[in-house]
Amino acid sequence: MKDAPDTRARARSRAGARTAWSGVRARLVAWTRLSAWASAGAGPKVRAGITRVVCLGLVIATVGLLPWLSGRDPALTVLRARSAEQEATAEALNSIRADLGLDAGPLRLLGSWAAGLLRGDLGTSWVSGTDVLPSVVAGLQVSLGLMGASLAVALLVGAVLVAPVLVRGRGTAGAFAAMLAAMPEFLLATVALVVCGVWLGWLPTSGWQGPAYMVLPAVALGVPAGGLLGRLVADALPAVLEERWAELWRGSGGSRARIAAAALRRVLPPLVPQFGMVAVGLTGGAVAVETVFAVPGIGRTALGAAKSQDLPLLQGAVLALLALGLAAGAAATLLRRRLLGPALRDAGLTLPAARPVRVHPVVPVVLAAVLVTAVGWGLLRDPYTVDTAARLASPSWAHPLGTDGLGRDVLARLGHGAASTVGTAAAVCLASFLLALCLGFLPLFTAGASDIANALPPVIVGILVAAVLGPGTGGASLAVALISWPPLAAHAAALVQEVRASAFLTAQKAIGATPVWILTRHVLPSVAAPVARHAVLRLPGIALALASLGFLGLGAQPPAPEWGLLLDESRAYVERAPWAALAPAAALAVLAGLAVSLAAYGGYGSARPGRARNPLFPRWAGVRGSGAHRGLTTLSRTRKETSLAPR
Amino acid sequence: MSPASALLDVRDLVVRYGSFVAVDHVSFDLAAGETLALVGPSGCGKSSTAAAVLQLHRPDGGEVWFDGRELTALDERALRPLRPAMQPVFQDPYGSLSPRCRIRDAVAEPLRVQGRWDRMAGPARVAELLDLVGLDPAYGDRRPHELSGGQCQRAGIARALAGDPRLLVLDEPVSALDPSLRAGVLNLLADLQERLGLGYLFICHDMAVVRHFSDRVVEMRDGRIVDER
Repeated sequence: MKDAPDTRARARSRAGARTAWSGVRARLVAWTRLSAWASAGAGPKVRAGITRVVCLGLVIATVGLLPWLSGRDPALTVLRARSAEQEATAEALNSIRADLGLDAGPLRLLGSWAAGLLRGDLGTSWVSGTDVLPSVVAGLQVSLGLMGASLAVALLVGAVLVAPVLVRGRGTAGAFAAMLAAMPEFLLATVALVVCGVWLGWLPTSGWQGPAYMVLPAVALGVPAGGLLGRLVADALPAVLEERWAELWRGSGGSRARIAAAALRRVLPPLVPQFGMVAVGLTGGAVAVETVFAVPGIGRTALGAAKSQDLPLLQGAVLALLALGLAAGAAATLLRRRLLGPALRDAGLTLPAARPVRVHPVVPVVLAAVLVTAVGWGLLRDPYTVDTAARLASPSWAHPLGTDGLGRDVLARLGHGAASTVGTAAAVCLASFLLALCLGFLPLFTAGASDIANALPPVIVGILVAAVLGPGTGGASLAVALISWPPLAAHAAALVQEVRASAFLTAQKAIGATPVWILTRHVLPSVAAPVARHAVLRLPGIALALASLGFLGLGAQPPAPEWGLLLDESRAYVERAPWAALAPAAALAVLAGLAVSLAAYGGYGSARPGRARNPLFPRWAGVRGSGAHRGLTTLSRTRKETSLAPR
Repeated sequence: MSPASALLDVRDLVVRYGSFVAVDHVSFDLAAGETLALVGPSGCGKSSTAAAVLQLHRPDGGEVWFDGRELTALDERALRPLRPAMQPVFQDPYGSLSPRCRIRDAVAEPLRVQGRWDRMAGPARVAELLDLVGLDPAYGDRRPHELSGGQCQRAGIARALAGDPRLLVLDEPVSALDPSLRAGVLNLLADLQERLGLGYLFICHDMAVVRHFSDRVVEMRDGRIVDER
């Protein structure tokens, strides 16, 4: 009986394990109940609110933890910035670490940062040693002026796009508006700089000294926003003008102007949240535009801080940008309530489904053919050979698109750039697709993440990631992937929900199919194909986002031929060699055109693809309406639905 | 009828959704070859009862005896081999078949799921099933959206029959169909019952159909049985 105590000990430890396990299980059960309550008991508004607050908290905590997350030694940054000649001895670094409070753990760091934030203290710049707050406030003032001006431009552009629809009573803003909306700000800014500032010499191109300095940046920032606004309104109007009430008004002799005004008022409230998103987009665009035109705004401050690893300044600037976006969202909500009145607050009026922009199938084919030809030709040439004798040469037979500042062939760099830009975009696309497929099964999480991703412009995420990982292709891809998966996941979640509610899945369970069988034979195939299509359609948009990060110096690094980087490098020589800048600009514009025309084919042109209607049963979507599935879902009725049933 | 001779014996069935009691102590039984109609206004708990009988939604109380076995006591794994013996037929003919699957594969799926698929005999069995429900086996190559509502409903019945069931739970099987097609499907169901000795739990709200089709009627209201005749 030598091993008796041993057995007893083992039994005891087993019992201990069991208690521990039952504790875990109790916690699991409690958590499940809580989430069940969150998903069933609380209203969808409350639920969305909770996930949104949690996600926002996560983003802010990420900002607060930047110094800790950034793997590189910030002490080194500070040392280099403060006294370049001093040796980076362990002693010097340690004293700086203690000085900045970096030797404490991440939680302590976050706590002291948050406490400072509440006191209105954003810390001290690592580089200049001055307070962060005044420079953030100064940048914010400039940026607010710029955004105000660009909102005016956007409203003007939107009005121009909407007016013909109101006058004619039918038609949509069409492909032109969609094209404007898809045009990245950094591209417009560069083109505006070249054409109006340099060739025509009408307006100043850099600095911030008076109203004239505001024109070009405001146009570059406002035109895409205006294109989006105009398109949203102009797409919704025709369906609204065909509603019964409009016919009734027309029949009883209402004037065209009165009906137009009423239709506009009918269209605006449901779109106001999207207008909020437009304002959020402005904060991201501001970074690029302010950089191009050397405007000392908050966006340029953030970018500069990210590049010089001045994290406290970066934290302050990013927080200010986030606050701007949140304020825009809140203003949009307030405006919507004001327009609708308290009675219709949330149920509101929904718009009839807008028709997607239809372009002739030839358009995307031609655009793709142009791109493929240029890229194929360029790939045959050498992008790295430096020929100082042929610097900034104009287009010729030897160099069809001329050469850049180092005498490298622009066509070759364009072709090789496509391989890296589009290749990276494809990898990002694939990663987001896979992530979306997995997370589509967690609708609650997806909804919150989707909201936050919509509210974060890629440029700001790119800045944050670059601050942590340093600029590079990997960081840029990560940044774009971080915000490109949630819309796909929202789409997947909607599909999963739809498939799960369908009777044929209940039938699967009824014939004794295992959950694995149902998942692999029915749910995944139903979900994967439409989401994959959606992911492919987003490819050009992802490539543009990568290019914009490259343009800002947050993505691929020289001498890599990346389209955004090409545009940035050739900006310096734009007066002598405009073709070197215009070639990548044209390529990016073609890419934007491809994004728009492809989106029309997928029918996911809207900003919320998760709302796509009944994509599983496209043939019956229009014919049989949502009521058709009611009978079948009764057998697999969810708790929520039933609790809504009359008692 | 005693539990021994009944095909299905439901005792004190309770289904709750949160605090809402959808099915409140419902009891009935059903013999092989018999049709029991479950009628009542919408929201009265008919479909919840059906889902609980089929164990598609596990009931919160009561017993379901099927073929001499108590189903509520079994776990999912033990239940799976028994499931083919009791099959639902749904209201929406299109929604009950996967839009991605050919009719042939949909009908063969119960056999595949149960591991009874035989490469040699399987196709013939599927053709036989399609023939049994009055569908030309040539339709096996089509997908649901290429068939009419009545044809889809017949395909759904063929799938239900593939597992050699003893009980069919018919959840308003003809109310989504064109009136001209209803008689055909009802006649098919009556014919199958006669040939195969199936028990039917028939959920319906069309009293004319119920009178014509069923042996006994149970009327439900607010989750309770209010009348039996």
